[in-house]
Amino acid sequence: MITKEQAQKLVGKVLSFSTFPECDISIGSSERASIRFALNGITTSGFTVSHFMSITSVKDGQIGNTQIDEFDDVSLREAVKRTETLARLSPPNPEREDSLEPQKYADIENYVQSTATARNQVMIPHVRAIVEGAKASGLVAAGFFERAATSSAIANKKGNFGYGRTTDAHLSTTIRNSDGSSSGWASQPAVRIEDIDGEAMGKTAIEKCLKWKNPKRLEPGKYTVVLEPTAVGDLVQLMGFNMLARSAEEGRSFLSKKGGGTLLGEKLFPEGITLRTDPRNKLYSVLPWGGGGRGGAAGMPAGNVTWIETGVVKNLYYDRYYARKAGKESTPFPSNLVLDGGTKSQAELIAGVERGLLVTRFWYIRSVNQQTVQYTGLTRDGLFLIEDGKVTGPAMNFRFNESPVRMLQNTIAMGKPVRVRGGEGQGMIAPPIVVKDFPFTSISEAV
Amino acid sequence: MLSRRKFIQSSTATAFAERLFAAPADSKRPNQELESLGGVALAEAKKLKATYCDIRIIRYRRQFVTIRLNPERGTGKTLEVPNIADGGSFGFGVRVIADGCWGFAASPIVTKAEIARITGEAVTVARANAVLKQRPVQLAPVKAYRDRWQTPFEKDPFSVPIEERLELIRTAAAAAKKDKRVFSAGCSLSFASEDKYFASSEGSSIQQLNLQTSAQVNATAVDVAKALSKSRRYVPPPVTAGYEYVPIMNLVENAARVREEVIEHLAAPPVTAGKKDLVLLPNHLWLTIHESLGHSTELDRALGYEANYAGTSFLTTDKLGKARIGSDIVNVWGDRTTARGLATIGYDDDGVKATKFPIIEKGIFKHYQTIRDQAHLIGEKESRGCCFADDWSSVPFQRMPNVWLEPGKATTSLDDLIGDIEDGILIDGDGSFSIDQQRYNFQFGGDAFWAIKKGKRAGMVSQVAYQSRTTDFWQACDAIAGPAYWQQWGATNDGKGEPPQSNSVSHGCSPARFRQINVIQTD
Repeated sequence: MITKEQAQKLVGKVLSFSTFPECDISIGSSERASIRFALNGITTSGFTVSHFMSITSVKDGQIGNTQIDEFDDVSLREAVKRTETLARLSPPNPEREDSLEPQKYADIENYVQSTATARNQVMIPHVRAIVEGAKASGLVAAGFFERAATSSAIANKKGNFGYGRTTDAHLSTTIRNSDGSSSGWASQPAVRIEDIDGEAMGKTAIEKCLKWKNPKRLEPGKYTVVLEPTAVGDLVQLMGFNMLARSAEEGRSFLSKKGGGTLLGEKLFPEGITLRTDPRNKLYSVLPWGGGGRGGAAGMPAGNVTWIETGVVKNLYYDRYYARKAGKESTPFPSNLVLDGGTKSQAELIAGVERGLLVTRFWYIRSVNQQTVQYTGLTRDGLFLIEDGKVTGPAMNFRFNESPVRMLQNTIAMGKPVRVRGGEGQGMIAPPIVVKDFPFTSISEAV
Repeated sequence: MLSRRKFIQSSTATAFAERLFAAPADSKRPNQELESLGGVALAEAKKLKATYCDIRIIRYRRQFVTIRLNPERGTGKTLEVPNIADGGSFGFGVRVIADGCWGFAASPIVTKAEIARITGEAVTVARANAVLKQRPVQLAPVKAYRDRWQTPFEKDPFSVPIEERLELIRTAAAAAKKDKRVFSAGCSLSFASEDKYFASSEGSSIQQLNLQTSAQVNATAVDVAKALSKSRRYVPPPVTAGYEYVPIMNLVENAARVREEVIEHLAAPPVTAGKKDLVLLPNHLWLTIHESLGHSTELDRALGYEANYAGTSFLTTDKLGKARIGSDIVNVWGDRTTARGLATIGYDDDGVKATKFPIIEKGIFKHYQTIRDQAHLIGEKESRGCCFADDWSSVPFQRMPNVWLEPGKATTSLDDLIGDIEDGILIDGDGSFSIDQQRYNFQFGGDAFWAIKKGKRAGMVSQVAYQSRTTDFWQACDAIAGPAYWQQWGATNDGKGEPPQSNSVSHGCSPARFRQINVIQTD
């Protein structure tokens, strides 16, 4: 892991080789330990260290970029030279933004040493608890446990410099019965590895697997659904990419108004819907600056933004270039999302549903229509019928075609938010919710 | 313009990596310095009493040029936005078996001391894993090779001046944008190379060079009054080849077609949902082959090793050799030797020589994709060479070879497929794709769709997706066009594994017809 002092030294070297007016540098390093298990045993595990440096040189609007992971003097000198050569060959970029002036980055570091140093002796007991729990019930466990520590630095010729560290851990497990006819799943992301509880997760997944035997074949159609927090996160995390001011203004987004303009300020959702970016939330461990690429929000101080407030579209994502053209302030990129909820438990939400389906999570979610944010995907590892406020039995999996925009518009109740991470994407902080008229379009026999 | 020599100096990775992989192209032996570095891992693993060890030392180069043409906010003036990037990566990964378990460790610091340290880490990982060992890892036998292999190519893409590439993509982007009704357009050209050295305790020492070339042209049209936008793309087949392939892509000619078709797409009426006959072109059908036949015939999925992420397979081992997947005309191969295929290579990351094998014969499931540590689990004696990783920092595991569909009779044309349809859809290009975790239920969109009415191609329609079940779909295949129509498409981002890996793979086919498939109208 690259320390602040090492990063400063590397930056100094790179800048000393630079002959262009602008030179931006981004350095990243990470150390990851992981355990993969299946069929009640460990299959592959790894310990990986990596680092990279991205160098961008700019002169007269011409930009050249390279990425390297050899940090000796010869390599660094060659890399800077290469970016300058590439820049000379490139046409000027009319959408470029100047390098950032020195920024003030807030101290939002949430780095946990125990996560950063955890190895097999810390991680294997959780895997063992899951595997032994599965074996005791005559079931078969698979899963993945990873912890990561990263350090990053950004710098430029104007004197801006930032350094940040993150840690994170994530354990997930799938429990299947031996003939492959039932499956249950659970997952837990945590900044502090001590917060991960393999035994409890194993119990949840085992319980789902045991309860999902002989699922009922229901007719596709619109159902009231109780979405567990992971299922909510699976879909709502995709909203972040759709909050762009540019595509909204250009008529290419669900936030575009017919005839021109955007739906900023319009009440598109029920009162209960508030979607925010919250990098300071202690459930996240993030860098003190945002992403979004050069000309985007890269290097801008991380900050809180409310995208949807009590149902009203409150902010759009303006990258640095587009903000300048529009005469607006640029905003941080819509990441580290939080969908606010209420205080009800998932059990209380289920109790309020006369007939519906309880969804553990979604899988293989892909865009169908970028403009309406329509996605397709499937339920997986635990779909249950709810009748008269009670879970009455398992149901065969369904394919859906739905937009998280419509889903939030149809939300009728919300529970307490937790941090979640499903099978795809980095996840978010999301509550369980109740949604009416969720459209399932076909049955899947998959387990 | 830069000279070739000067450009290579400025565009390749740094001095050490350059020296390591710079052996003469005609040499059949790996670079001696690489062999010396590899020997450190093998010796250290032996010292630590590991029963198997391999090391991969890899250098990647990636170059990307793109031009985007879009209107400036406020003025509407078309701006030409370039993006040129040139990156690389260099590092090594060591895999060992100790106490009957796999261990893996990797680092970007390619020195003898670090290789020894990381080999020790890999052994530590393996030994720790042994407490939860199900059964000892058992490897199928493999021959020892000392060889050098490279993608057949005529012109090193990295040697072509950036100006020449820019000129080409600027011309193509301009052709796609040359109509006021086109809102934005773009073109990109990418090259990637993988210099890989593999050494194993089985006695192999193999150096390989893999070259990839890919491109794309795209256009978007917007109807502001309706707040509606549509796009159209031309993606030539991504290939393992050199710059000689670029003229074959016909980027400029196809950009003009993209321009016309995006305008047509914006005004195209939505499809009427219902059962329809489909004719799927190779630049669409490759993805359906990939998802429904490629992934379902991976042995690691069938056995449950992928259960927590990508999923398992409906093709359980009891179905091997028996299950009917498709109609009698469906013959599918797994093949790591296909010319220009993205998964084509000399040797896999187990050191197994590339091979070709039938997956489906006359509609019946015949063989799984396998690697060395799986073969014995289904009673096979050797690996089918499907082991690879996406990076030096990733664990090699079972990945997909090129999986291709045999063409139909030489006399069958595309017009023959269309001519026999009363109410159908012709689908070009890939779009939305989703399939369940056992590869039964899928839904695919496309990039452009034309109605087929009474045996003739009619106007474009929009908002099309089809849903089916893998075996129903392939058994509904009643015609495949002949070898003259066979083309190979593919992807460089096939995801699988934990931590997730993204690999490259190609799928060749001729246009094929599928009867009475459920078509839905999307947003």
